[in-house]
Amino acid sequence: MDPDVQESAETQQSGSALVTAVSCHDIFDLSACQTDSSPLAKGAAFSFINAVQAVNQRLVKHNANEMLRFEVILLGKDCEEQIKSKIFDSAKHYGLKIGKFYFCSRGEFVRTLQANNAKLFLSTDRDDVYGALKAGVPAALLCQQADQQVQEQLKVLFSGDLIGLSEDVIDGLKDFGFSAVQIQNFKAAKGCIQEFAALIGEMRKRFGCKDSPLQTILITVLGSRDVCATALKTLRGWGLDVDEAFCLAGAPRNPILTTIQPHILWDDGLHNMKGVLPLMDMSS
Amino acid sequence: MSLDPVKVMKGQDPMALSSPLASNGDSKASWEESEGFCDGLGPKKPKSGPVRRARKVEGGIFFPKPENAVTIAVSSRVLFRTEKEQKVFEEKGVEEYIKYQMEHENEPFAPGPAFPFVKALETVNARLRELYPDSEELFDIVLVTYNHAHVGVRLINTINHHNLFIERFCMTGGSSPIGYLKAWHTNLYLSADAEKVQEALAQGIAAATMFMPEKQIEVSETQLRVAFDGDAVLFSDESERIFKAHGLDKFFEHERENENTLLDHGPLKGFLEALGKLQKKFYAKGHRLDCPIRTYLVTARSAASSGIRALKTLRAWGLEIDEALFLAGAPKGPMLEKIRPHIYFDDQMFHVEGAVEMGTIAAHVPYGIAQKYPHKKGTNFAK
Repeated sequence: MDPDVQESAETQQSGSALVTAVSCHDIFDLSACQTDSSPLAKGAAFSFINAVQAVNQRLVKHNANEMLRFEVILLGKDCEEQIKSKIFDSAKHYGLKIGKFYFCSRGEFVRTLQANNAKLFLSTDRDDVYGALKAGVPAALLCQQADQQVQEQLKVLFSGDLIGLSEDVIDGLKDFGFSAVQIQNFKAAKGCIQEFAALIGEMRKRFGCKDSPLQTILITVLGSRDVCATALKTLRGWGLDVDEAFCLAGAPRNPILTTIQPHILWDDGLHNMKGVLPLMDMSS
Repeated sequence: MSLDPVKVMKGQDPMALSSPLASNGDSKASWEESEGFCDGLGPKKPKSGPVRRARKVEGGIFFPKPENAVTIAVSSRVLFRTEKEQKVFEEKGVEEYIKYQMEHENEPFAPGPAFPFVKALETVNARLRELYPDSEELFDIVLVTYNHAHVGVRLINTINHHNLFIERFCMTGGSSPIGYLKAWHTNLYLSADAEKVQEALAQGIAAATMFMPEKQIEVSETQLRVAFDGDAVLFSDESERIFKAHGLDKFFEHERENENTLLDHGPLKGFLEALGKLQKKFYAKGHRLDCPIRTYLVTARSAASSGIRALKTLRAWGLEIDEALFLAGAPKGPMLEKIRPHIYFDDQMFHVEGAVEMGTIAAHVPYGIAQKYPHKKGTNFAK
């Protein structure tokens, strides 16, 4: 199938926009598709779009000519013809400001991302995320929100292990039971994160400490406090001063993540670990 | 820059551990995260995580799972002295405050009121690790602050400077830390902010507001000493209510009549229980006499009369307290000065202030009727 492109009137000047590609499956529920003209039901991560649009609104409020905004494009893999138009209509129905829609085959989606200079690809599907990362496209997990209605801030979560652990330590991760695939994914993510962090950092600076529609968070799960400090300083060097920081030292991350409720989660791929982990340090 | 060659601990059956020590009654002790956050969406795939190879840990420091440990959450304002910075925040606002912190990033903070307590907890941990190297029943200290992460580097530098064993923290960037207290299965929360402490108490988490003593008396470096007031701290405030509403005689009458009825539990009962469990671990290995944890009851009740009900209640709860001091209304200050606890919990600000004046590290538990009817200074009641 050739890549299909539909552009709506919402297309903005790409330039310095943060082009964010999101999977259709996450925004709309494509499983229960009616043949009538009713719009698609909201998907698992629909609220993300609202949060992003709220950020854009505030950015424009500060500066009507703001170029650094989120530009959301929707990516549909292996979609049938009737679904395509349903997606297009549903987006309009919900008032989503989506610039472009790309429909392609499963095998093409990474190339489609690259061709459109996507600065970030978001999906709830881990395999898709890693596929993009391996090809050098910055990608992160899109998380389902517990409460789809209440949307105060767009929360972007960075992994302190990803940013703070050095390359030589990463290779040694296999001693801790991590697979070669996981280590590969880790390295791929580490390679892509800087540009995205810098863009988010710049965007975050447009707002003050309080009442920001965008909240940046760092979470270190395996690394020691020094790894966390390194991550904080590294991010600062890239132009991002995070708002919140958590250091877990091996504690289960689910309870903390559930309290934070992030939208975007930079996954380091080191999950599903059972048992007690020793602390990872960088010091000699 | 190489990894510490610490070997991984053998996975243990969670049911083999004794019941977890959470004060909020939560009894989940699962080792595995059944539903990963952000998992389970999209097409189902077989789990790609590796099977852990079971190896024994030797001499490595590992950090316990929160639900298995006695988790103490401390805020940065009680662990360290941050008066100067606090002033900048109050007078010039948050942006200036953050700028100030970043400019002074390499200057460590001085120790605050909770510092000796935290050091003592670490001493106990060291002893516990010697005796039970594989156990997760330890003190787990978490720094919980609603500071912005910009202050993070300074806090970490300070922790490094003082050589503290704190690897876990939450900097919530202005949002309420209460949700995180629950996520950490917090057994005790210490803060400088009375409002946050009250919020925590309302959620069933033992909590107290700490104050910096003007003069600092030396406390033990080998033994953790924790002192508790009785009513409205270990016990409920029911007797306190009778006293405030109907006076001393009615109080005595009530206590006599109800001598064999157990008092209801107060907000710090769970914490005393947690301490008792750890004490028993030392006793089990023959360390009763030199146990590094010692607990005290310092109450205005009288030994001969109203104190009996308190003792019976503690006994019925299966709680041993090492020393019970019935002051029969005498001032608590001098007694506390002799005990030199690392922390003393009282529900009445009057007592807390008195203790702090004499150099005792005291913490206010804003619970019960005493908050509505503060004690008038100068009156002395024998209970």
